[in-house]
Amino acid sequence: MKAIRYLIGLSFVLVVAVLIYIQLQPKPAEERILGGNIGGDFTLNSIDGPVSLSDFRGQAVVLYIGYTYCPDICPMALAVLGQALRNMPEEQSQQIQGIFVSVDPERDTLEHLASYSAFFSPQIIGVTGDKAAIDQVVQQYGAFYRRVEMRDSAMEYAIDHSSRLYLIDREGNLAGMVSHSTAPDQLMRHLEELLN
Amino acid sequence: MRKLLLASALVFSSFSFANEAIIIEEPFARAVPPGQPNSAAFMTLKNESSDIVRIISATSNVSEVTELHTHTEVDGVMQMRQIDAIEIPADGMTELKPGGLHVMLIGLTQNLAEGDTVEVTLNFEDGSDRLLEVPVKHVMPMMQHQHKH
Repeated sequence: MKAIRYLIGLSFVLVVAVLIYIQLQPKPAEERILGGNIGGDFTLNSIDGPVSLSDFRGQAVVLYIGYTYCPDICPMALAVLGQALRNMPEEQSQQIQGIFVSVDPERDTLEHLASYSAFFSPQIIGVTGDKAAIDQVVQQYGAFYRRVEMRDSAMEYAIDHSSRLYLIDREGNLAGMVSHSTAPDQLMRHLEELLN
Repeated sequence: MRKLLLASALVFSSFSFANEAIIIEEPFARAVPPGQPNSAAFMTLKNESSDIVRIISATSNVSEVTELHTHTEVDGVMQMRQIDAIEIPADGMTELKPGGLHVMLIGLTQNLAEGDTVEVTLNFEDGSDRLLEVPVKHVMPMMQHQHKH
């Protein structure tokens, strides 16, 4: 009888421990967005000087976090955004600003970021900053990145990163996010909703 | 008739070198902004032989270094890694496509603009190789196989 009581007590402790553990896990951005505690203003540097999200109040903003050495995920995301902007009527697309945040300031100079971003659309600006500033934006948006050494590769290092296009409304609030594999027309519909 | 089929099946299944057994479809390299130091080449590889074929390295006339890489998504995080070989299963196919396996062109010696053609050589495990003329394209998701621009 004692043993049974002991077992019940032990399982109770275990259940509580598991619940606490689950509670402490960082929640994915998709969950946090519903609570409204993700997103927000930030300031990083572009070739033309500091750029803040709040500079674009009144416009919709699409934010992407990546790096230019990224062989295909970042260019895919930016190509989708560029195509979506080109597919929209000009009076609409002009109300949208793309921001490409590089988490690789060591290789991504402001000059290179400018030409890289403009290649996909003149409406995308490239920004980066020091590690503290980048980490803050990454944390604010529930994103992730990690430098990974590639010993045998001429790349020297790669950056593992989450890949999302963050859709931000005219007031600067995060309204949603989509994957880099979204079709340009689908992104375009999201952008139209964002403007309305 | 059956004999003829059997004979032709035998002929087609007995390739002496890997480079003869592989059919390469729709190769393309990604157009990149001027000054961008690297790009990637993609293609579909079909293996007509009954043996596994492995690509163990590659070279290109437009990059200082050419490597075999893969991209995987783990819990929403994109991870790029160098790999030792790209395998094409016996009588099967392997796709090199954005977001997955690719031939990484590192240290571009020229700008890659849409309409250019670059050379990529694939080196197979058995010592044979294959030189490809690869067109440079703007890569758009969902449109890769439609050639729309």
